[in-house]
Amino acid sequence: MTFVLILLVALGLVGWFVARGRARLMYTGRGSLAATPNYHGWHMALWTIVPALAAWGVWLSIEPGLIENAVLQDPAAAQLPESPMERATVLGEARNLANNPDAGFFNPLSVQLAEPMREAQTRYDIYGAIVVLLFGFIGGAYAYTRIKAAFPARTRVERGVMLVLLVASLVAILTTFGIVASLVYETGLFFAEVSPIDFLLGTHWSPANATGPDMGDSFGAIPLFWGTLYIGAVIAMIVAIPLGLMSAIYLTQYADLRVRKWLKPALEILAGVPTVVYGYFAALTVAPMIRDLAASAGYQNPSTESALAAGLVMGVMIIPFVSSMADDSIAAVPQSMRDGSLAMGATQSETIKKVLIPAALPGIVAGVMLAISRAIGETMIVVMAAGAAANLSVDPLESMTTVTYQIVQLLTGDQEFDSAKTLSAFALGLVLFVVTLILNIIALRVVKRFREAYE
Amino acid sequence: MTDTPKMSARNVDVYYGAKQAIDDVSIDIDTGHVTAFIGPSGCGKSTFLRSLNRMNDTIPIARVTGEIDLDGEDISRMDPVQLRARVGMVFQKPNPFPKSIYENVAYGPRIHGVAAGKAEMDEIVEKSLSRAGLWEEVRDRLSDAGTALSGGQQQRLCIARAIAVSPEVILMDEPCSALDPIATARIEELIDELKERYAIVIVTHSMQQAARVSQKTAFFHLGKMVEYGDTSDLFTNPQQERTKDYITGRYG
Amino acid sequence: MNSVWDTEQMARRIARRNKAERRFRLLGLGAIVLSLSFLVLLLVIMLKNGLGGLDWEFLTGSDSTDASTAGIWGALKGSLLTMAVTLALSFPLGVLSAIYLEEFAPKNRWIDLVEVSINNLAAVPSIIFGLLGLAVFINTFGLPRSAPLVGGLTLALMTMPVIVISGRNAIKAVPPSIRDAALAVGASPVQTVFHHVLPLALPGILTGTIIGMARALGETAPLLMIGMRAFIATPPDGITDPASVLPMQIFLWSDEIDRAFVQNTSAAIIVLLVFLLAMNGLAIYLRNKFEVRW
Repeated sequence: MTFVLILLVALGLVGWFVARGRARLMYTGRGSLAATPNYHGWHMALWTIVPALAAWGVWLSIEPGLIENAVLQDPAAAQLPESPMERATVLGEARNLANNPDAGFFNPLSVQLAEPMREAQTRYDIYGAIVVLLFGFIGGAYAYTRIKAAFPARTRVERGVMLVLLVASLVAILTTFGIVASLVYETGLFFAEVSPIDFLLGTHWSPANATGPDMGDSFGAIPLFWGTLYIGAVIAMIVAIPLGLMSAIYLTQYADLRVRKWLKPALEILAGVPTVVYGYFAALTVAPMIRDLAASAGYQNPSTESALAAGLVMGVMIIPFVSSMADDSIAAVPQSMRDGSLAMGATQSETIKKVLIPAALPGIVAGVMLAISRAIGETMIVVMAAGAAANLSVDPLESMTTVTYQIVQLLTGDQEFDSAKTLSAFALGLVLFVVTLILNIIALRVVKRFREAYE
Repeated sequence: MTDTPKMSARNVDVYYGAKQAIDDVSIDIDTGHVTAFIGPSGCGKSTFLRSLNRMNDTIPIARVTGEIDLDGEDISRMDPVQLRARVGMVFQKPNPFPKSIYENVAYGPRIHGVAAGKAEMDEIVEKSLSRAGLWEEVRDRLSDAGTALSGGQQQRLCIARAIAVSPEVILMDEPCSALDPIATARIEELIDELKERYAIVIVTHSMQQAARVSQKTAFFHLGKMVEYGDTSDLFTNPQQERTKDYITGRYG
Repeated sequence: MNSVWDTEQMARRIARRNKAERRFRLLGLGAIVLSLSFLVLLLVIMLKNGLGGLDWEFLTGSDSTDASTAGIWGALKGSLLTMAVTLALSFPLGVLSAIYLEEFAPKNRWIDLVEVSINNLAAVPSIIFGLLGLAVFINTFGLPRSAPLVGGLTLALMTMPVIVISGRNAIKAVPPSIRDAALAVGASPVQTVFHHVLPLALPGILTGTIIGMARALGETAPLLMIGMRAFIATPPDGITDPASVLPMQIFLWSDEIDRAFVQNTSAAIIVLLVFLLAMNGLAIYLRNKFEVRW
């Protein structure tokens, strides 16, 4: 198929030169052409490539079905098992064998089917190539007939460009829609088995031994919500808010320009470190350190995985985020406020505490909300350092689990799809999505109103 | 004490980075009258004003040389906090803090700790607002936001805020440029009343305003002080060619 | 002389206020030093543990159950293939929608919805994109699990909003006078944008793209969801082969009980950080070199 694509591009290129050449011949003097020859070239190239590409897309979506039908005609296919799921497995193995003779397989039947599969694939690939090229020729030919001196090729090409731009910008909506639809759909399946009330208000979480009609008792997500908030919105923020805010104050109000030029990017490196690295740092260094400290303070059997270790490292990760939001908010307070206070004889710190921070407060609060939203959605640090035990506790030295940790736990094991266990991961995902969405929307609105107030 | 002027500047230069904004300015300012700085925009009059209470310190690249004295004491050796409490400032654009009217006025006395209790603070707030001619308009809504007032009221609030710490000098940087004519007239009346108690320096781009409110006028041009004298003399009988050109509208 | 300022009491008060000022300033400095010392600590520990394991064998080998022969080339190649897919999708889509939203979009409900979508997508937790990839690309479209194709698609959806937002800012920064000048000589709006605005905005767009790609390169959680955590002993040959990526390799090794893997994990972290640092450095270089002040 790669070959067809190359051929198509080549065809488009030929179309471009042909149309341009022909349009050039029509040039009889200033103003004799409605569009420059280049635009005629583009017009024809687009007509050659776009319909063919569309045809290719359609073909790709129907080709597997056609191939499967052809393979099912093969006498060996009669031995295929009845159940559609097993059937699909065998056919999948046959497909792998057809592409790669060394691929592994479980069902010997797939070896027999591999040859007809390869044959059918080759055959339909050729058909597909013919269809695609045909569309290319028809499109090109149509465009060729339109090459006239008065033809507004530029307007037409630009209309096409606008369409492409529009489609590109719709991808964002499509993504949002995809997220909402898939989460809501799977959550719906989950709620068909487990009542939403049990899920949202239950306090016992142990999906591993969830079976039977009382399954709802094992899907109480409150300990997860608690762990998530305790780590992300309490411990992490206790670290990130003071450090981030004071760093921002120092950078914007005290540091001279040269120092700021170095310190600010250095601080931003903290935000650029991948979360898996933080997770490893938490698990390798911070958690044992905390455990040893707890042990020396007289705690009985402190666990290696603790909410404190995860929250602490998460807080460090969030510092630059809080700092840059606070930086922006303080910078948005008009200089005249600062001058006004300094001119009254207030010291710098009095000005900061009594004028700048109160004036920047909405922006800072919004920044903290965004930081919390980021912290509760953070996955790798908690996966590597927080633990799996669903504890409802306020002791930061205990192991706690979070929504994101459980999603990973539920979806990376070897269980079949569509079980209540895997579906519950989507329900957790939906809760996470809704909460972060609300936090983000409120925060963005506050920031916007705050900016407008000073403009 | 009458022989030393309230403020005096000697050979003051101000640099912004490598650029010289003020070149060798010397001037005496006294209590009991209004001194106006006039000149075309960019002539350095505001820059010079800001060096009188060391507001130029807040601009990292600004550098001031020469000597400026307040009551014979070099301000560069004074604590900027104390200096700015004694030399208040009103800005071009009204800049009330985003707090209540009461808190705006109480801010200065509070940070400097000049009020002993709530009663005394109330008294300072009322006195300051009255002197700024705003008390009658806001006495019933002292807890409203200062930013909710009209532009002219905001500027009078800023003046009240400045006089609440009992300064000796008030610097005004084009205080009426953002106001309509009626509000401007109100501020000008106020300046006239205030001059009895404070030394007032006003920067203005309007020669009419300088003529109306000031008793002494300094004309700045290209960072230099070209001429300084009684307002009536300067406008009717300028000594320098450049001053004459400016006040007759040849440039500016 | 104003008597208020001359009293002993006032002098003491000013001294106290100035002391508080110094204390506050020190507190700020302390906060930033403490924050940066976390970074230094992290780097020092990784360098101490990992530097010894960085050799040619490590860079060219693939995953293995034996720590001494395990290498990162397999994961690195997986990362490169995944990033190629991500870039190929998110860059054109991101730039084109930035152009549309900034230059041509009408003001209506749909466009508002697009803007809200983009701003929110930029803040959606990455693991949610993993759930989307799992539900849509794998379970609905039947694309192969663990493949760079799916990983790249998922990360592209995550990176696109970042590119759109930075692209819009870059386009916004081009002064209207440039557009007016082009339109005034008779260029069509499309020509104005593609001939004049886009070239001027390109450095800014590229900077945003590199930053978005760097973030995608360090991302682990969404790829966990789509199964890119398999044990891959041979480097993938194409974008549909099962693969792992660099951060995933770090995660997998960090779980190994064998202490010998600590060195491997730290060495892999060093490699990942070097890549990220290089990308961010390039972004900063581009910004400084081509940034135009209007």
